[in-house]
Amino acid sequence: MKHEYSAEHRKYLGKRKRNLTLVWILRLGLLALILGVWEMIAALGWVDPFLTSSPSRIGKTIASLYLDGSLFYHIGVTLLETMIGFVIAVVGGCVIALALWWSETLRRVLEPYIVVLNALPKIALGPLIIIWFGTGSEAIVFMTVLVGIIVATLHMLSAFLATDNNKILLLRSMGASKFQILRKLVIPSSLASFISMLKVNVGMAWIGSIMGEYIVSRAGLGYLIVYGGQVFKLDLVMASTCILCVLAAGMYFLVVLLEKLIVKDAES
Amino acid sequence: MKNEILRFEDVTFTYHTRRGETTAADGLTFSVREGEFVAIIGPSGCGKTTLLSLAAGLLSPSSGTVTRSGSCGYMLQKDELFHWRNIEKNIFLPLEIKRQNTAERRRQALELAKKYGLGEFLQSFPPQLSGGMRQRAALIRTLATEPDILLLDEPFSALDYQTRLNVCEDVSSIIRSEKKTALLITHDISEAISLADRVLVLSPRPTKVSHEHELDFGEETRPIKRREMPQFSTWFELLWRELNA
Repeated sequence: MKHEYSAEHRKYLGKRKRNLTLVWILRLGLLALILGVWEMIAALGWVDPFLTSSPSRIGKTIASLYLDGSLFYHIGVTLLETMIGFVIAVVGGCVIALALWWSETLRRVLEPYIVVLNALPKIALGPLIIIWFGTGSEAIVFMTVLVGIIVATLHMLSAFLATDNNKILLLRSMGASKFQILRKLVIPSSLASFISMLKVNVGMAWIGSIMGEYIVSRAGLGYLIVYGGQVFKLDLVMASTCILCVLAAGMYFLVVLLEKLIVKDAES
Repeated sequence: MKNEILRFEDVTFTYHTRRGETTAADGLTFSVREGEFVAIIGPSGCGKTTLLSLAAGLLSPSSGTVTRSGSCGYMLQKDELFHWRNIEKNIFLPLEIKRQNTAERRRQALELAKKYGLGEFLQSFPPQLSGGMRQRAALIRTLATEPDILLLDEPFSALDYQTRLNVCEDVSSIIRSEKKTALLITHDISEAISLADRVLVLSPRPTKVSHEHELDFGEETRPIKRREMPQFSTWFELLWRELNA
């Protein structure tokens, strides 16, 4: 089809493409500017690099972590805790939301409990978690699940309940059972909400795992940040934070990729 | 006299909400015979949709009886096609629900779709179709399970005027040539006159049948042609007065 476009349309496409290129140049330029200024003011002694660190010191810290073999160990620990917590929170949230959609009585009974659990700052449960789960990864995974599961439940429940009543009426007129309504209508029409819930929960999972590592941990990026803060190694704090940024962004883009796959599949 | 497919006998229906109860229908009696196209018109808010839900068996009357011999197909104001299914899969939906999803039934449904001009759109998704085409697909979906009676709940009211006349023409010719029994509920007097063999007029709530007319268009079943005939305006005037009485 491409060769059939008119000159005007090609011009329009060209303009869009140039615009996209410009946005990318500016994005990367902004990053380079921030890093450059940061490095410069640290190098010129305008700020104390002991307090602000600097890109080159962060690079050196990451390199030394890599050389003593602990870089991928800490990344692996946090990533595993985050992923396991994320998956349990998402699956658990969907299952609970399904149960709540199914039974209005159950929904009404549990509503006040869910509201309270949602409002409760989960970090308040820190001491309990340590006593119940010890100081290993189990405690951190539990914290991650706790932070994510309520959000996942509420998000999916509101999606299920927003199902078009006329479409439900249509299925009921065909004699559909509740299970058929669920399978043929409620679940497929909630797909877009499922993806947006995943995006929200990527953030929630990182909050949960890092918060968990702050409370109790012997390894992981959250541990490095806390440890670095305690011994005033701000290079370590900054380096771990940068790695976290990269990991969180990577996980988010995986969800975006999944979205593209699913949406394409549903419409091709 | 042909068999009665649907019969309402002294039907009363009361809605219950937290704020109180509303009697939607009181002493509603009428019947639809095999092969007939019956239109029901009523003032807005007289419980037209309740009546169709009763006919479909989705609601049970508070008193009186609703008897239906055979299956029904329900068609709503909007097409309600599922946007994540292509047209073909949408048409198969009632077959899946009713567990009649056999190769034979699918073939028959596809034949119907092709016969009425949906052949080239079977693999398309609903948003790619015009409003008229979508409503046609909705009708074919309703016909896929070969229901004994079609329940039409203002199936044209969500369309713009031009499309509305065309789809009305379409639906009429499909229903007539498939020799289906149909019960249409509408607030649009001219639509009722242009489509039906018989028109029932409902009173305001609590509703019952206040007037009943056998229309005299002879063999003419095409809505557009009917609109040009002299008795059309006579019927319109009469029904208008009865509706506003």
